[in-house]
Amino acid sequence: MALEGTLQDMSLSDLFQVFRMGPKTGVLLLTHGTERGIIYVAEGRLIDAAVVRGTERTILSSKDEAVISMLLWDDADFTFRHSLAVLERPARIEHDSEWLVLESMRRHDNPVRALPYQSITLDTQLQLSPLPSSAESGVSLDVNQWRILSQVSIAPSLRAICEATGVPPDQAIRTVAELMSIGLVEIAPPTLPKPKPRPRAATGTSSHGQMMAPVLASTPSGEEATPILARGLLDAIMRRIRGL
Amino acid sequence: MQPLKIVITGSYSAGKTQFIRTISDIETVSTDYAVTLDEERELKHETTVALDFGTIAINEKLNLYLFGTPGQERFDFMWEHLSIGCLGYVVMVDSCRPGHFAETQRLMARFADITDSPFVVAANKQDDPAALPVSYVRRRLGLPLDIPVLPCVANDRSSVKTVLLSLLKHIASQHQAERAEQA
Repeated sequence: MALEGTLQDMSLSDLFQVFRMGPKTGVLLLTHGTERGIIYVAEGRLIDAAVVRGTERTILSSKDEAVISMLLWDDADFTFRHSLAVLERPARIEHDSEWLVLESMRRHDNPVRALPYQSITLDTQLQLSPLPSSAESGVSLDVNQWRILSQVSIAPSLRAICEATGVPPDQAIRTVAELMSIGLVEIAPPTLPKPKPRPRAATGTSSHGQMMAPVLASTPSGEEATPILARGLLDAIMRRIRGL
Repeated sequence: MQPLKIVITGSYSAGKTQFIRTISDIETVSTDYAVTLDEERELKHETTVALDFGTIAINEKLNLYLFGTPGQERFDFMWEHLSIGCLGYVVMVDSCRPGHFAETQRLMARFADITDSPFVVAANKQDDPAALPVSYVRRRLGLPLDIPVLPCVANDRSSVKTVLLSLLKHIASQHQAERAEQA
């Protein structure tokens, strides 16, 4: 069993966040055309990496530079397998994953492309991410990153953040992409609309031990509606499932 | 009497058939056929093209029916029929296949159009140490905190029970909120 996908499905920066959250231990293998990458992860930390080319496995980069070069790939197939053997390997990577991600974003011509499935616009509502408890990052934020981060929990949208901070929209979107890639902020999920009131709520209850018929609501047109059950019947179903 | 029905849905190969098999009182009725598309065959060799069907007897006169929908979007015409009158539904998602998240989001949007029944999301394959954590699954699916997202192992009976109980509690709390609003 393994975690599998492409970087279009899940970015490398997201994978690093997940490794920290676990924390996970194992080997991440990536295939990008003729190049292949390998990253060793020990208890959420990146400890070693290399990028090789071709069947002769010519080493193109290793350690920190290898991770950064993989972060610059737009797409690759990946497989992550749990392996406790990685814990025996020496740590050869100097920087933590947040630093490496931010460094790759600085080198990226368009960092927003590093988050292929996230759409950041001026109407995007942001929230602070819950940080993993073990997060101890050596990353230092720049002024723009701090200015935007300070507004995230107050402003209703990125547009409002731009107005409050004076950061130009293009720069703000780029900065938000950087903050998202290191797991400091995330796009707020939509709030659910309140369910529409149903035609008639059942009020009947069934006492324990009686035969309990479901009490159903129906629409005036006679359409089959979502049933509303008496609480006693729901309790009976729950008791039955608990007893299985 | 309207049947008591819970629908188990989710994208292709999410574990719906196994979920029903694990908890059903009866030998489940499955309509699996050999997979024809190459990319789907890489994931599994047989797939559900009509439905899975299992039951849980509540008492001598009442059964809870579990219906599993076919996962592929090309069979989505059946989802509406299966979801009519359901108490609620479980959306299953494979925690080891981030490539299925977009399809799961489309499926959830489609179900929201079809029914206003409460639902929970079951993040399957949580027994794999490489699996994505539930909090990441929630974030990627864009789910608000009032939708329960639960860890799940579809071949583990206690895990399946926990998911069903969470759905029933979610149904109860939604009904309670609606009653309070109407009172």
